[in-house]
Amino acid sequence: MAAQPNGTADAPIEVSSIPTVVGINFGNSYASIAVLAKEGSADCIANEDGERQIACAVAFLGEEVYIGNQAKPQLVKNSHNTIMGFRNLLGKKFSEIPQDKPITSAPVIQHPEQPDVPAYKVQVLQAAPSPLPKSTTTTPAASNTATPRSEPVPAERILTVLEVTTLFLKSLVQSAEDFLGRKVQGAVISVPTWFDSIQRNALQKAAEDAGIRVLQLLEVAGAAALITTTGLTPKELSHDRTQLVVDLGASSLELSLLSIREGIAFSLATLSDPTVSGNAIDDKLIKFFAKEFTKKTKTPLTVAPATESQDKRAEAKLRLAVEHTKRTLSASPGAATCSVESLKDGLDFTGTITRLRFDMEVRSVYDQVYTRVKELVEKAGLDLYDVDEIVYVGGSTSLPGLDETLAQGFPESIVTPFTAGTVIGGGVGDPTTIISRGCALQAKLVVVLPDDTDDEREILASFTDGHNWTQTATSKTIGMLFPEENAEGPLGGQWIPAVLRDTVVPARRLYRLDVDLGEGEGEKKVGFEVWEAKEGVKIDRVKPPKLDDEEDAPADDEEEEEEDIEVKEKTVEKETLLTALSFAAKEARQVEGRWTTTVEAQFLVDRTGGLEISAWELGPSGKGEKTVVIVPSA
Amino acid sequence: MANVRELSVVPPPLPASWTPPAASGKSISPLVTRRLIPAGPAYLAHVKRAVHNLTFEEHDKHAEEERKRLEAMNGTGVDGEDDLGVGDEPEDEELSLLDPKEWKKQDHYQVLGLSHLRYKATGDQIKIAHRKKVLKHHPDKKAGLAGDSNDDAFFKCIQKAHDVLTNPERRRQFDSVDPYYELLEADVPAEKQLKSAKNPQKFFFDSFAPVFEREARFSRKQPVPMLGGFEDTKETVHAFYDFWYNFDSWRSFEYLDKEINEGSDNRDDKRYTEKKNKSERARRKKEDIARLRSIVDLALAYDPRIKRIKEEEKAAREAKKKSKGGAQNGVDAKQKAEEEKRKAEEAAMRQEEEEKVARAEAKKAKTAAANAAKKARRAARAAEPGGDAEPQ
Repeated sequence: MAAQPNGTADAPIEVSSIPTVVGINFGNSYASIAVLAKEGSADCIANEDGERQIACAVAFLGEEVYIGNQAKPQLVKNSHNTIMGFRNLLGKKFSEIPQDKPITSAPVIQHPEQPDVPAYKVQVLQAAPSPLPKSTTTTPAASNTATPRSEPVPAERILTVLEVTTLFLKSLVQSAEDFLGRKVQGAVISVPTWFDSIQRNALQKAAEDAGIRVLQLLEVAGAAALITTTGLTPKELSHDRTQLVVDLGASSLELSLLSIREGIAFSLATLSDPTVSGNAIDDKLIKFFAKEFTKKTKTPLTVAPATESQDKRAEAKLRLAVEHTKRTLSASPGAATCSVESLKDGLDFTGTITRLRFDMEVRSVYDQVYTRVKELVEKAGLDLYDVDEIVYVGGSTSLPGLDETLAQGFPESIVTPFTAGTVIGGGVGDPTTIISRGCALQAKLVVVLPDDTDDEREILASFTDGHNWTQTATSKTIGMLFPEENAEGPLGGQWIPAVLRDTVVPARRLYRLDVDLGEGEGEKKVGFEVWEAKEGVKIDRVKPPKLDDEEDAPADDEEEEEEDIEVKEKTVEKETLLTALSFAAKEARQVEGRWTTTVEAQFLVDRTGGLEISAWELGPSGKGEKTVVIVPSA
Repeated sequence: MANVRELSVVPPPLPASWTPPAASGKSISPLVTRRLIPAGPAYLAHVKRAVHNLTFEEHDKHAEEERKRLEAMNGTGVDGEDDLGVGDEPEDEELSLLDPKEWKKQDHYQVLGLSHLRYKATGDQIKIAHRKKVLKHHPDKKAGLAGDSNDDAFFKCIQKAHDVLTNPERRRQFDSVDPYYELLEADVPAEKQLKSAKNPQKFFFDSFAPVFEREARFSRKQPVPMLGGFEDTKETVHAFYDFWYNFDSWRSFEYLDKEINEGSDNRDDKRYTEKKNKSERARRKKEDIARLRSIVDLALAYDPRIKRIKEEEKAAREAKKKSKGGAQNGVDAKQKAEEEKRKAEEAAMRQEEEEKVARAEAKKAKTAAANAAKKARRAARAAEPGGDAEPQ
């Protein structure tokens, strides 16, 4: 350093060596891809067709293979060569797949050679074998007619589920590489919670066959939790919260109740219901439009399920068209149109539906979701009032009507992407992109993990085989109770929860707060008791307030008809006194006649359940003396 | 660091009668087993704590190191591109209040966000810094924003700073009077301090080393010998003072010239101002030379090495004198002295060599890293698949 000449500065010549990674949301009906943006956030990208939601469909037509949204229109004319819904069949045996469902795409068959393997049979045109090379010695005489083009020959192709998945994933990664202009070096792929290890392995194998290095198979709820815990937390939400993930996809409803404690998430309960789905909403909508078509044109049309082949085709056409209708409905409360050319018998159809009408039509689906949510919360031993946040996943949850239906049961303070205003315009709460973005962020995290030592490999394994990683958590909320003279309520002071129940240990919480020290001069003390508390929800039944101002006798008979309204309230009951802590305040300052001081309190829960509480004053001269109490573990 | 949560509740004062109840001796309710979802940085932190068996404090330290490692991996650039270490300096509130008309008073390095490099900034770094600032503050970027969209004062300041710093002559002029170092210039140890210091030797080196390092930038001859340490040989010390007494400075004071009123046609006026400026420059230069000289004088007067060398010489002389009495003894002493001297020289040389090697190695490593990165980029570009990947 000493003899450094002037006029130069050593510039660090370093460039980014973080590998390129992507996040893939691989659903049964739709997939999406997200890449990392420059600012460290993740962005969902569109594929070559300009679609962010890429349909999980592969269609074969002649010599062509269509993958993604281009394959969907093939359902109309070429349905037996169009493969859909293959993700859920991954890792399944043919005998395990129920055969009773009506299908609109290529049927699943038993693989002709491998035993008990599901497969698809598609008709393709294979390029004709090139003609034999002509020998130079026996050159035939020149003829006036052109050599006939060698026509491709029709052939049958058998594809296993694994092969279809590989084909599809390869096209996804290709899209991402085209977008980035770089080779993708790793990916995190989302999987549903109910995927077992056989299914996970099958997906992993399919991805590896497609040339993708799978960093982790991340469950959907985890990706949702990751997105909501990174970045800024909304003001209304604490770092410790209970989150409900509602995943209403095209083919099933998945619910997860998560406990999120400073970013560490675990599942309290999960529920999956294939009968409630976006397809059910589609069915209702199609039926509605079919009825309207019949009314307008006097042409009979029965759909969902359709029996005649003409009706089947009409249904497929409608199904494609209502996609657009649903998106319009999600975006604006006005009327949305649905138009199909030559729906049946050469008759065109154009119909409109308003959001109100739509919500009425699909009310039963919404209600089913609500019932399932209630079931789930009960399964976890909680109440709807214990849920702090709802996260929506899947295209169908973009419908505002669903949020309105769910909101009725939750407290008013609940945060949903709709109340936070993050659904429209691709905000953080956009249900269609949230999973892929979560996966991309996870990929960013996992890809830089070193794997040189045993410890590092163990950390890495906790991600890849993370579904086996169990830990212990507290079972009751621990908090501070600042006693107060003549306090209202049974607690006898100001209650501040510090370590919430279901907090994974070891845990550390640090709080900073101002403490009122009263008006008097003389020695001032700060102190609080540490309690374990029982939290619950109190349900009161109260009579509904009368609407009319006149409280007259005639209202009597009406009163009986009206039902009592449930009023819920969160309650805290102190249960076990653990310890107490107090110290003299030396750094107090006087503001408008009252003394206050700033105190920091730290709660440390160790692995065995031992609790260490330390508190100190935070004055202008820095940290004050630390007071520590310890509650040993049992 | 732990995540501090600010609470808005203000607990009431304690009741006068309240005494902290004794610990109940009970522990918290039994723990329950949960299956974590392996997602997110918090999970990673938790697993790391569990695997490495770390406490929270240890983990904080660990996380800090990790952050630095990642930063290094990502390069210091904002978007992964190499920005030659320009970085992204936070902008002071005051900067936005700068008046472009008063550009002579502004700190050009600070305006371009180079205050950590100053005279050390290379031309490329200035270019990058300027580009960064322009991207941020160009009036076109502010067209849609609320407020006065015509407010391009800071942008003008940036352009002025760029003008000054990219012209080598004007940059030297500015470097000569860099306000940042102007403030530091007064920070020279006083005679009193030197006398009264508890550990005079340490104080001398601690206080003078930065002074000489600072002044070295004005030297026309490079490299400049630095103050060095207590163990320096007589030759080094003498060479040091030799150099500094004959210091050839490029420092000049044109930057502080009074503006010649361009509008006025009065030739006499112009000549008068010019003359005055010239004399002012000469005065300042003289003052500067005197200032440096006084510093070197002061350093020489209190240099503990000079004292040491004198003592050593004296001892040698005495030893010589003594050796005339007992030759054996003298030879021994002489040999010893010589050996000591040789050892010291050797040590100094070795150190220098080590430093040289280390420097060379650091340079090599850096170029190697750059090459590797370049290669990787090229490879990535080359590895892009060309053919169509769709199997039939």
